[in-house]
Amino acid sequence: MKSPDTLRPGERIFAVLLLAVAVFMFREAYLISGFTGLTTGGVLPMLASGVMVVSGVIIVGEALRKRTSDPALPTQVLTYLFPLRLVWFTALLLIYGASIPKVGFLVASGAFLFVSVALLWRRGMLWAMGISGLSILCIYGIFRLVFQVVLPQGTFWQ
Amino acid sequence: MMDAFAHFSSSWVDPYLLLLTALGTLAGIYVGAIPGLSVTMAASILISFTFKWDVNEALALICGVFVGGVYGGARTAILLNIPGAPSAIATAIDGYPLARKGLAGEAIGLSTVMSVMGGLIGVAALAVAAPLISEIAIKFTSRDYMLLGIIGILLVGTLSGESFAKGAFAGALGVMIGMVGLDPMTAEMRFTYGSINLMGGIPYVVAMIGFFGVAEALSQLEQVGTRPIKQAVSKIIPSWSDVRRYLRVGLRASGIGTLIGALPGTGGDIAALLAYDDARRTTKDPETPFGEGAKEGLIAPEAANNAAVGGAFVPMLTLGIPGDAVTAVIIGALFIHGLKPGPLLLVDTPHLFWFIVGNLTLANLFLLVFGLTGIRVFTKIVECPRAILIPLIVILSAVGAYAIQNNPTHIYWALAFGFIGYLLKKYGFQVGPIILGVILGPMIDANYRRAMIGARDDPLEFLLDFLTHPISAILFVGLMLLLISQTGILRAFRK
Repeated sequence: MKSPDTLRPGERIFAVLLLAVAVFMFREAYLISGFTGLTTGGVLPMLASGVMVVSGVIIVGEALRKRTSDPALPTQVLTYLFPLRLVWFTALLLIYGASIPKVGFLVASGAFLFVSVALLWRRGMLWAMGISGLSILCIYGIFRLVFQVVLPQGTFWQ
Repeated sequence: MMDAFAHFSSSWVDPYLLLLTALGTLAGIYVGAIPGLSVTMAASILISFTFKWDVNEALALICGVFVGGVYGGARTAILLNIPGAPSAIATAIDGYPLARKGLAGEAIGLSTVMSVMGGLIGVAALAVAAPLISEIAIKFTSRDYMLLGIIGILLVGTLSGESFAKGAFAGALGVMIGMVGLDPMTAEMRFTYGSINLMGGIPYVVAMIGFFGVAEALSQLEQVGTRPIKQAVSKIIPSWSDVRRYLRVGLRASGIGTLIGALPGTGGDIAALLAYDDARRTTKDPETPFGEGAKEGLIAPEAANNAAVGGAFVPMLTLGIPGDAVTAVIIGALFIHGLKPGPLLLVDTPHLFWFIVGNLTLANLFLLVFGLTGIRVFTKIVECPRAILIPLIVILSAVGAYAIQNNPTHIYWALAFGFIGYLLKKYGFQVGPIILGVILGPMIDANYRRAMIGARDDPLEFLLDFLTHPISAILFVGLMLLLISQTGILRAFRK
């Protein structure tokens, strides 16, 4: 297990954020039952979040020790973490997740597949339509008919 | 003896039982391989429509699904770096790098042969040493299970990733996710923030789907424009020299898998991790370093998790305690068919015991056939361009997350975990320890509290118990050695 010597863009900020999350979790764990007993519901959460705090401090230390030529600009950090393709795909995911309770799983998934395949593959609308239609048919056949899995239904369209 | 053999071979000579075992094994391979579909879920669904069947027919199908499913998880671990089941987490560490080097066929072939070998050794142990192994397993106390759970999480933390601190952080994060919901002992709310959806906790399958399925899809977005996932599968059947060369690793891992599988509540995931760690420590000069495509790192978890199947049946059939989640489902099926798993099962219904032994053996032989012949068809599924595969993984993940409890909130959880997993992976964290933490956290919590109550809330007595009980002492020393070897204390002491 060897950590790469060079610093990734935004690694130090990320390490500090993780430490902050760990401290917050420790506080939340403490609020469950405090130090009132050794067999209360809050003991293991406190131990686990304590491990997170200690390892978080070590991770921050490791990040600070790493070599860096120039500090990364905020734009470089954003490009590293959130490339354009990830941004619009995540937006599609959010729309997909929000639309399932409205239009149901099959319609939402069909639309999500069509749009994402069309944008990612760029071989034309017909290809995207054919692939998404075939995929939805297969998913329906395997999950609904063979495994009898109940698929989410929508309020507007079931 | 002749009676036992007759019951052992009953599914071998009955064409209908033979067909059901074959179908179960084939279905299990694909169920285990599809991200989001778990063997436990498939077994539960299967049991729901085998209630009216004859018990042998139901068992033939379920045993086949169990054996095939444990193996199937390795295929997506090797080809996509998405373990189909927790027992294949360790397989991905070296299996995927092998596939990236164009050795996917060889990796799957070798893992198939070693899985079958492990499976057969596990079944042999079930048949021959069941009473002995169950005697050891029943002696484990809450304290021992707690130690075993901590070792399991820390082991996966040390196996992969950039630093032990990152592994420990990820494992502890998983434990925290596993703590969400009502406290099973006091009904106290933990991290629910008044949400009804959080009261029941976060199912580990949802976390697994998010951290492995969605996070992998998001990570692969960067490579959409490069080239589709094409894994060369030129050589499927492994060479005899390869099998002979890695036989020792396979045999050793099978032994570990059988023993760990026989410990109630552990199962193939811990067995695979311990076997991987053992292989890493005992292999002096691997051809390729561990984590970069070492064949020993592929063989050990695969032989162990299939050996754990036979081991898991030992406490289930002799003590009535499930070895893992799938055997817990099978226990339910046996009760429904009027049978009582436990010490009297072998006395009252020995035919059933020998039928299960014979059927598991048969399922392993079918595994060899389907495992070595279906790879090309299977890889066609994963050879499709990333532009199609990525949205499909997301949709399969959504179905899998929803299907667990028919709860749409679980889809959102899976998507959120996927995004968190993506960010962690960008900074060198591994998601394996998180999943292990989610699975083992509640087990550690319950066993810690039982052990502490047993020590009458006296911390000194609690700690002394670690040293005064032989099994606890062995596990405690193992845990300490693990910590010392990974935290740099040893290096500092040497200096």
